[in-house]
Amino acid sequence: MMRYLIIPVVLLIAVVSTGLSLASYRETFEREFMLSPWAIAKGEISACIQCHTSDSMDSKMQQLVQEWRASWHAKNNVSCHDCHGGAPEDASMSMSHQRGFSGTPNDKDIPAFCGTCHIAIKDNYLQSGHGKTFLDTGEGPSCVNCHGSHDIQQASMDIISEQFCSHCHTYERAKEMKQALFMVESKLNTINTDLKRLKVFGIATDRQEKAYFRNHAGFRTLFHSIDVDAVREKSSDYTQNLEIIEGEIRESFKQLAFRRNFSAYLFLVFIGLSIVVYLLSKSYEQKSG
Amino acid sequence: MWGQILHWIEVRIGLEELVNKHLRQFKTPKGATFWSTLGFVALIAFILQAVTGIMLLLYYIPHPEHAFKSMQTITNEIPFGWLFRLIHNVGGNIIVAVIIMHMIHVFLRVSYKKPREITWVSGALMFLLVLLACITGQLLPWHQTGFWQTTVTSTIPSFLPVIGEGISSYMRGGESVTGITLSRYFSFHVVILPVFIVGFMILHVLLIRRQGLSTSPAIEPGADASPPEEFRREPHLEGQPCFPHFSVKRSFMVMLYFTVLFFILTFFPNLFLPAEANIQADPLLTPEAIRPAWYFLAPYQLIKTIPNDVMGISLVVIFSLVLLFWPFFDAKDAGRNIRKRPMLLSLGLIVLALWVIFTIWGMYS
Repeated sequence: MMRYLIIPVVLLIAVVSTGLSLASYRETFEREFMLSPWAIAKGEISACIQCHTSDSMDSKMQQLVQEWRASWHAKNNVSCHDCHGGAPEDASMSMSHQRGFSGTPNDKDIPAFCGTCHIAIKDNYLQSGHGKTFLDTGEGPSCVNCHGSHDIQQASMDIISEQFCSHCHTYERAKEMKQALFMVESKLNTINTDLKRLKVFGIATDRQEKAYFRNHAGFRTLFHSIDVDAVREKSSDYTQNLEIIEGEIRESFKQLAFRRNFSAYLFLVFIGLSIVVYLLSKSYEQKSG
Repeated sequence: MWGQILHWIEVRIGLEELVNKHLRQFKTPKGATFWSTLGFVALIAFILQAVTGIMLLLYYIPHPEHAFKSMQTITNEIPFGWLFRLIHNVGGNIIVAVIIMHMIHVFLRVSYKKPREITWVSGALMFLLVLLACITGQLLPWHQTGFWQTTVTSTIPSFLPVIGEGISSYMRGGESVTGITLSRYFSFHVVILPVFIVGFMILHVLLIRRQGLSTSPAIEPGADASPPEEFRREPHLEGQPCFPHFSVKRSFMVMLYFTVLFFILTFFPNLFLPAEANIQADPLLTPEAIRPAWYFLAPYQLIKTIPNDVMGISLVVIFSLVLLFWPFFDAKDAGRNIRKRPMLLSLGLIVLALWVIFTIWGMYS
């Protein structure tokens, strides 16, 4: 009887002692795991949002958060402090100038404010007719006139419209620019749509997305110079680059077609096998009466 | 040549006797239909999951920095990696449907009654373990869908009083879904749960072989007699031999299973992989709609509908326990012909209808 008791007792002691000896290792291991950047799941902890959505703010200030939430910036994780500075994780210091808070920029500072991130676009804009007029007179279009401030949406050719441009000058020159942009913009839009479609089907598009982004950003930068001749001249370079991406996209679609056809082939094979085995089963049933 | 190989094997393991004893002489009941083979289909589906899972395991890296990328590599760079991934993904969903259908069939034939209570309990336990395997598997690709589904499902146990927080915390290995959760779910998905599932599967199959397949009282009226007081194997002398008759039926259903699998792979490859499943998990970016997998929609909607979280989760736990130990709730000797038991039939149909309603509600809420 005793020997039957000894085995579980020895096993229990072995398990407990192993567990205890591993516990300290496990603790260190888990602590290191938890400290890694990907291990910490932070929520939307932002003093800016908490305060601006509270009842202490007037509706106009609350509206800013609503506009930002629906914006292209929000979709790309660009939050309040990325533009306005400050310390969003600390309510008491969130608007401290020592922590980099800059608040709402003056009109003349807007290009520099947006140009903190959109550096190349800012440079091209400042060298353009738009930028020079704005710097010289303090009038004329700055970033927010065309793109808005908190409700910024993904930029498209629709911004170049009679409605916007005719505020300051005739639409003719803008129309000429829009025509020059058309070919590359269409390609960019098609590639963007195709990449999204491929991604839905699990195709890894990281490399093509990066190439697309590079060309997209470059072309958008160029276009802020509002120099029609420069846009026409460089469009062929962008077209060539985009055609390389289009070629890779075509290959990916071919791969998707192969996957579908291969699955369809197996589907048909199993339909056939099902029919054969079903008939076989019926014949056995008939035989056995 | 073929004959020589068979003879070589015959001399060594007595293949002929083995086939005769376990397949030809093992009789299946007269009323055994295609529905009676669903348990076997579930077994094949499980083997398929194991095989495709092992193939994925060759390239998968269970680490938050590499998991998503390794899945992308499997899908896009490894030859036919996409096929193994899709079969594992779609198969993981169909296996749940197959087990549910198998359980409904067993319920309608009242096959769980004495002496088959342990067979039901082991089967129901397997079902719950398969569901756990599905939950743990969702997180492994480390995509947005899996990450946020895990966040939701690992929160639900915390509604339980006293032990709830502990269960949630143990599942996640902390307050939120992190790398620790991934390493835990990985070990459960690939080792712990499969070991238990295989264990219960062996018990389940051994019991079926020992007791014989259950007879339908609707087809064989004698089967509705009082259950035996001592062990008695149902020999089904009038029935069909397992091989080839019943085996062909099983083969047909297995073929049908593969047909459905490849139908989904051909026409709806993304049925269980929404757009967010192709985006790496981002704890800072909550998707617009987070829903658990279809088989969890009913309990999820139930918990959402009932204003008191404790009551909601308690109902789900009670339902799971009743399902698990159902043979002991329906232990009285009221016969096995469900046509003569309208109350039992109504109960089954009401539960099924509620499950479907809550699932659809959960899908659109």
